[in-house]
Amino acid sequence: MIPLEKIQKLDDYRYLIPRGTRPGMRTDALVYADAGLLEHIVKDLSLEQAVNVATLPGIVGRSLAMPDIHQGYGFPIGGVAATDWHDGVVSPGGVGFDINCGVRLLGTSLSQQDVRPRLRELVLQLFRDVPCGTGGQGHLKLSTAELDHLLVHGAQWMVEHGYGQGADAEFIESGGALEAADPAKVSDRAHQRGRPQVGTLGSGNHFLEVQFVQRIFDQEAAEALGLNPDQVVVLIHSGSRGLGHQVCTDYVKLMHGAMQKYGITLPDRQLACAPIQSPEGQDYLGAMAAAANYAWANRQGITHFTRRAIRRLFGEQTAVRVIYDVAHNIAKRERYQLEGEREPRDVLVHRKGATRAFPAGNPEIPARYRHVGQPVLIPGSMGTASFVLVGAEGAMRETFGSVCHGAGRMMSRTAAKKGRNAKEVQQALEEQGILVKSETRDGILEEVPEAYKDIDAVVEVVHNAGLAKKVARLRPMGVIKG
Amino acid sequence: MEAQIWQANIIPFRDSPSQLRYNQTVAARYEILEHPADVGLLARGTSLAELFENAAAGMMEIAVEPDGVTEHEQKRIVAEATDREALLVNFLQEVLWLVDGEGWLARRVAVTEISDTRVSATAFGEPRNPARHAMRLIIKAVTYHQLSVRQQSEGQQSEGWKAEVYFDI
Repeated sequence: MIPLEKIQKLDDYRYLIPRGTRPGMRTDALVYADAGLLEHIVKDLSLEQAVNVATLPGIVGRSLAMPDIHQGYGFPIGGVAATDWHDGVVSPGGVGFDINCGVRLLGTSLSQQDVRPRLRELVLQLFRDVPCGTGGQGHLKLSTAELDHLLVHGAQWMVEHGYGQGADAEFIESGGALEAADPAKVSDRAHQRGRPQVGTLGSGNHFLEVQFVQRIFDQEAAEALGLNPDQVVVLIHSGSRGLGHQVCTDYVKLMHGAMQKYGITLPDRQLACAPIQSPEGQDYLGAMAAAANYAWANRQGITHFTRRAIRRLFGEQTAVRVIYDVAHNIAKRERYQLEGEREPRDVLVHRKGATRAFPAGNPEIPARYRHVGQPVLIPGSMGTASFVLVGAEGAMRETFGSVCHGAGRMMSRTAAKKGRNAKEVQQALEEQGILVKSETRDGILEEVPEAYKDIDAVVEVVHNAGLAKKVARLRPMGVIKG
Repeated sequence: MEAQIWQANIIPFRDSPSQLRYNQTVAARYEILEHPADVGLLARGTSLAELFENAAAGMMEIAVEPDGVTEHEQKRIVAEATDREALLVNFLQEVLWLVDGEGWLARRVAVTEISDTRVSATAFGEPRNPARHAMRLIIKAVTYHQLSVRQQSEGQQSEGWKAEVYFDI
């Protein structure tokens, strides 16, 4: 446990664990939180993990922790760490097992009033049309060659094969495909796990939620993004399924072997890493990019099935467009001008349970949104709220263009299930106007709102710390999960 | 390449009669551990071999209800590592691979040979069948988080082996 006395309050939203706190730390750890959230944060090992991350060779800037931080393996979830592209390391644990677990928001031309009378029908239709994949299989059957093309072209491959609309990929982070993808670095096993799972939602905390825009905070940004009050939107939270998990497993194993070769020792085995400029490091980045593309292709498939289900019920004229899609488990090569340095530096930004949040003017942002900033999608758990924000200048200055990714778990799955009954939970949600359809009983129990931190508090911190600005608050109407 | 939409992939929402008994020792072979985001296992065995067998059984029980799984088929499992802890992880990853990679469920695993760096075993089970097998949780991976494989020293009340391992779900 990091004792509270060792944590220095810098201001209402920033807490510092200075470099000397633990031997081996090459830099400080900085936590974005308010006093209330910090009280919970110190209860698990997340700060220990943030401190361990500060020992990574080649780390640039601080080890950063977002307000939704919770214990992961190696890296905390809600952690950000940048390493020097030339002499730093890459750590698969800094990306996570679910490579490019992320969120996509679809905007429709429907309003709450249009959908409420037919909500149950819509939820059932979506449950039928969007496979969760707990049975192992989706609707698409790809050959290995097709899968390899998909691993290179990501979302665009799906659009070109009939699973999307022309402009979809434009509104995805990185256009829905990372260039560095190398299918040859993805093992046979990962291929085998991935082939039958394209276009499936997954289980655990993955879900598809029909929501309505409850409140707008920033009128100009909302208009640019195409959000209006009472509008019905769909939030998709899903990742790279078995393929990504296998890639991470394969490379963590490989890097354990490599660490001795490169003379790296670390306080936590799960921080297994290799120099970025090493065969192991480059191979991992190639495989990771392929897995990231798989996840974007996956969310594209789900988008297609969702669009079709909505149009089936509400008519072919119903508009369903991609507002944006963000990754929250990924490592990206980016360039930053650091304080006190003359030239900008290339770094590898590890975002594990953290979302990119570029401010207005950044060329990576789709032209339509560039004047307001990059959309940031923050999913809540069932029964609470989700948020749309846009990146702000503070993120570029302080957090390598990053913010939180969600509300963060507080309660273990076993605790969430104690004394609760799935039917009761489902009924309680129905009374709030939220319909849930889950493939498993546990799917409902584990995701009770109490198991998560207060999302409004988490979002307030990033807003007040100047990392991102609130645009809209979304409330769930219907949820499907595995 | 238009996908065939069929309704057979709905696994009916069900209230499983056999509850996964969390935090309750099931014949002391293994127990489920608390973790904010994932699931852990504390496994025991009188020998290293038995420890590994019980760890596999515990992991499979997290993934699927054991009662529906028969032992019609056999598959060989081999794993290697530089040390005992990594060996347990690699071994469990092989069992997990069968589930997600080959659509095959192990009901029981019997270790045939084991050392600190290598294990070979036979898994008894059958291919996954949604009609008969109630899947519980998709285990994404076996992690090294708080991983331990320890032998209880002599003179302690219970001799034998204990292991702790966490899964990403």
